[in-house]
Amino acid sequence: MNSFLPILRGIHGVWLREIMRATRDKGQLLGGVSRPLIWLLILGVGLNPYFRGEVFGEVRLVLPYSYLQFLFPAVIVLNIMYTSIQFAVSVIWDREFGFLREILVSPMPRWAVLLGKVLGGATAATGHGTLVLILARFADVTLTAPQVAQAIAYMFALSFALTCFGVVLAGKVRSFEGFGVFSNTVILPLYFASSSVFPLDPSLTRTQLVASYPEWLIMLIYANPITYAVDALRGILINFNQFPPQIGFGLVGIGMIGFFLWALRSFGR
Amino acid sequence: MIPAAGFPNRQRLHFTRASPKPYICGLSLRPPEGYGRGEVNQTNCQEADFAGRSISLLIQPHETAERAGPAVRVEHLSLKYGGQVALDDVSLSIGRGSSFALLGPNGAGKTSLISVLATLREADKGLVEVAGHDLRRASRQVRLSIGMVFQDPSLDDRLSAEENLDFHGRVYGMPGRARADAIDRMLDLVELTGWRETVVRSFSGGMKRRLEIARALMHEPQILFLDEPTVGLDAQTRARIWAYLNRQRCERGLTLLTTTHYIEEVEDADRICIIDKGRIIAEGTPGQLKRELGQSFLHVVAATPADHAALLAAYPGAHAIGAETLAIPAGEEDFVAGFLARFGNRLREMRFEGPTLEGVFLSLTGRVLRDRTDGEREAQRNAGRRAGRR
Repeated sequence: MNSFLPILRGIHGVWLREIMRATRDKGQLLGGVSRPLIWLLILGVGLNPYFRGEVFGEVRLVLPYSYLQFLFPAVIVLNIMYTSIQFAVSVIWDREFGFLREILVSPMPRWAVLLGKVLGGATAATGHGTLVLILARFADVTLTAPQVAQAIAYMFALSFALTCFGVVLAGKVRSFEGFGVFSNTVILPLYFASSSVFPLDPSLTRTQLVASYPEWLIMLIYANPITYAVDALRGILINFNQFPPQIGFGLVGIGMIGFFLWALRSFGR
Repeated sequence: MIPAAGFPNRQRLHFTRASPKPYICGLSLRPPEGYGRGEVNQTNCQEADFAGRSISLLIQPHETAERAGPAVRVEHLSLKYGGQVALDDVSLSIGRGSSFALLGPNGAGKTSLISVLATLREADKGLVEVAGHDLRRASRQVRLSIGMVFQDPSLDDRLSAEENLDFHGRVYGMPGRARADAIDRMLDLVELTGWRETVVRSFSGGMKRRLEIARALMHEPQILFLDEPTVGLDAQTRARIWAYLNRQRCERGLTLLTTTHYIEEVEDADRICIIDKGRIIAEGTPGQLKRELGQSFLHVVAATPADHAALLAAYPGAHAIGAETLAIPAGEEDFVAGFLARFGNRLREMRFEGPTLEGVFLSLTGRVLRDRTDGEREAQRNAGRRAGRR
């Protein structure tokens, strides 16, 4: 146990470096601010009037929320997804520029190094998610203090799982440019196929759903873990769930542990 | 010089040396069993009369005597890398407080060996002990007791000098106070105090090198690995850092393991190990190697291509250095006279070289150390850069 304190110091050191890196990276910060603005203020405001529309006199969707309110939690998740998965660039950077060796010859065990890094990445991603919360009033979302606290805790857990996922991806990609393309081909399909920008009405039965959406899309949405992750955050922020929120929390928990162990296997090889 | 047995608690030694150095343990001193080199230090050195070339030492037993075993012990180490043999049955032992140099061209296996010793790469076969710890069983202890200066930069160039050192201190588990002290001390040693808060990206190559050496020494390792350490350092800084390292060797038994292809740097080492194609081909003190393996060479440039061919035909043992120069082994005493009688008027240039380590390497491998490695290193660096950009 006498080696516990030094390891804790080491984890803190690794975490601190990631935070410094994230706060000094102006490009990343700019992306973290501009992305939610575009999504909420342009897409959200633009589509808002069509959300509860009656199509040819027939009401297709009955949700007690505006599109902006509905989209708001999804934009937070999108921001977290980008920052977490882009975090893998930090891992690739360390590898390509030799800094990884400095870490690997240090007395810190690999799991502690990875934990520090992932905690750092998750902190940065949570920060970017929290940035979006500031826009809540523009999206007509009113938040209480416990709601905010709950949301931040959940966002951190989600960031942790996604950051580990990013590290796993980093192990499979050899270069920066490749990773940029790769991450976009992972993030955007996951995001769009997750009931984040359009709702599955919980009041509809599955047969009725199939009437409004093609079967394959519904299958994709049901199979996509991000669906449940977004849904759980919606439950916290606007009190609207399409699925039992336990599924979302459970998946995030499993993701945190599962992806961390998977990342540990690929890290530092 | 030193009594072999019955070594008392306090002992006065007298010996002389042709070119005195300010640090006692730079001398070839062999204390008896149980008394490591670490005990001989400046505080117990008395009456150092450098002008008169005699030094009196007062040797006292020391705590370090208990751990006087070798700093590094390698037995029958083999390593394959990418299907190629990188190390082939390497065995060596490095004494505590000594300065050990690995000499060889690039690709010889120097960096592979260091990677294994620094726990970065796992050996296929063989036993490795670093600072008395088995590499396989106690890698954490091994890592705590080594400092590492890599061949290529390994700093985070978006952090400042201070932040790089602070990160290192934290990762090595140093408490806040000790960390701050060590940062001050180390920045002062490598003369970077004025650049404390400057981001490393704007540093010159030599400054980065200095910072890396400072970082490797920060946690007071028992063994310091220096992989091509002083590339890009000016003579003054190099001398300053070596003086510090030598003082550390005396005061606390720091062991140095250097890899290099600069002959001048290893002349000062206690022991040299020449390595080529993954095998140790010679080991000993610089003097020993030169005496036993050193050869005199006659470096000549022929006047015409025809003369060049004639020289090659007459001396099949000659090594070609570059396009024009030939290095002809000049073993026998009257060799030069005989050579001049035969070829004296068919030469453009001629230079006689007595036994040097360069010559030792040449006669062992048939290659020149420096020319070859510089070209390859450059090519390798460029390849690395291209790969990074891809």
